[in-house]
Amino acid sequence: MNVNLGVNVGSLELRNPVMPASGCFGYGKEYAEYYSLNQLGAVVVSGTTLEPRLGNKTPRVTEVTAGMLNAIGLANPGIDAVIQDELQWLAKQDVPIIVNVSGDSVEDYCRVVEKVCASGLAQAIELNVSCPNVALGGIAFGVDKKVLRNLVESVKAHCTLPLIVKLSPNVTRIQDLAVAAAEGGADALSLINTLIGMQIDLKARKPVLANRTGGFSGRAIKPVAVRMLHDVAKEVDLPLIGMGGIYSGKDAIEFVMVGASAIMVGTANFTDPFACPNIIKEIAEWMEREGIKNLEEIRGCAL
Amino acid sequence: MEVLQNIQLTKDVFSLKLGGEFSYEKVQAGQFVNILIGDGKTHPLRRPISIASCDVEERSLTLIHRVVGVGTHWLSELKQGDRIDLMGPLGNGFPLPDENSKVLVVGGGVGIPPLYELCKQLSKLNCYIDIILGFRDEDDLFMVKEFEKYGNVITCTEDGSEGVKGFVTCALVNDEEWTTLYSCGPLPMLRALKEHFSHKEIAGYVSLEERMACGVGACYGCTVETKDRTATKRVCKEGPVFSWEEICL
Repeated sequence: MNVNLGVNVGSLELRNPVMPASGCFGYGKEYAEYYSLNQLGAVVVSGTTLEPRLGNKTPRVTEVTAGMLNAIGLANPGIDAVIQDELQWLAKQDVPIIVNVSGDSVEDYCRVVEKVCASGLAQAIELNVSCPNVALGGIAFGVDKKVLRNLVESVKAHCTLPLIVKLSPNVTRIQDLAVAAAEGGADALSLINTLIGMQIDLKARKPVLANRTGGFSGRAIKPVAVRMLHDVAKEVDLPLIGMGGIYSGKDAIEFVMVGASAIMVGTANFTDPFACPNIIKEIAEWMEREGIKNLEEIRGCAL
Repeated sequence: MEVLQNIQLTKDVFSLKLGGEFSYEKVQAGQFVNILIGDGKTHPLRRPISIASCDVEERSLTLIHRVVGVGTHWLSELKQGDRIDLMGPLGNGFPLPDENSKVLVVGGGVGIPPLYELCKQLSKLNCYIDIILGFRDEDDLFMVKEFEKYGNVITCTEDGSEGVKGFVTCALVNDEEWTTLYSCGPLPMLRALKEHFSHKEIAGYVSLEERMACGVGACYGCTVETKDRTATKRVCKEGPVFSWEEICL
């Protein structure tokens, strides 16, 4: 039987629905030592800002049961260096590039987006309005409906590529923020970003992470992520990209059944560098077993 | 890889010898491996452990680690014949000096193991090696005899129960004309060494430890600031060994 793994996220055509999540895959070079990136649906690069950022103090990462906390703090060399040193290389790997963009102000977001679009190297923008680890630059834009709608509207005016808005789970009703992003002109939504967590070092009697709090990700958050994707899919008519604790093809299918057109893989890359290619294979095997030719046949079936 | 042997060296330090498929020929002293704990479902982050010894002919790898948490506890309970999933060798090791150089090797606690493979390599280059090993107390001593095969070893203990009393810098009374210092251990020790040699012409290489997520350079979890504090380097990718001139200790 022929299984077609190809999916569309709005106007974005992907050879399969699996992409590494922003922040978990650098700019692709490291994992290209393990497999060729053209197996992936797309590569979503680390959060990029206008100016270089060193990020938070260490420790920046710690393990928790069936998950991890991170507080990297949007460490990145700035958009000009990213275009020059990273995207130029990545654009030669025969895989669509999605650039995750963050900023401290509406102007910053717009300027970064303009630069990405002008570079001609990327196929879509993912707007990070949900980084929990920096005072500004993200979360401040992602938790207030009016602020979010305004940001998306402003960015959209400068954006010639499909605009994906990445939603924060650290809100009371994520669907309200999804509606706001849709009203602002988002072409697609990705969710969820990390939940805010904390772990205490009993010996030191203080939080393990230098930033005190960190973004909680990994297997443990999957039920929360599936529920949130479900809630958003019920209220918003935009293509959705699901993520949160995806480790297997079956995990990915859960998100598809509540309405995801594609999925992103984060923490699993750290546990197994081959997580993404394995998940792609497992999705195909599952489809074959179930007699499904195209994921559209089951998308949203559990809604 | 397969566990060939798991020996307890002190109350919390273990020596794990592994065999099986691995790029033994590629190993540089100072590199590390990233080990999956159990099936990875409860423990998603691999544990970076430095390579204490690599035997290319025997095709075996020895890792020496201290039990500090659930991951290293799991490692300490492995039995002969158990199989483990690891990635490596990862990172950049110690740059080796010219033949016949006079070098100083300083290790503190669980920073000592990667210096063992280094001493093997230095010995092959006919280097004259002075070695200072710092421990908490006499019960904490490990690998001292092994190091004595390669150089002149001075041990230090914090409580003076064995060797020189105090930190490793207490053993540095008459400085020789060393061309290079190699060190791995707690940050305060590395800083003290740098301070001690600040007026000397000596190249210093230090191996750093930091919490990691990916171990391959993708997550930017384990960074260290460069000396001018304008950029960062990744301990897992550009490190774990750095020249002390390039980073902010």
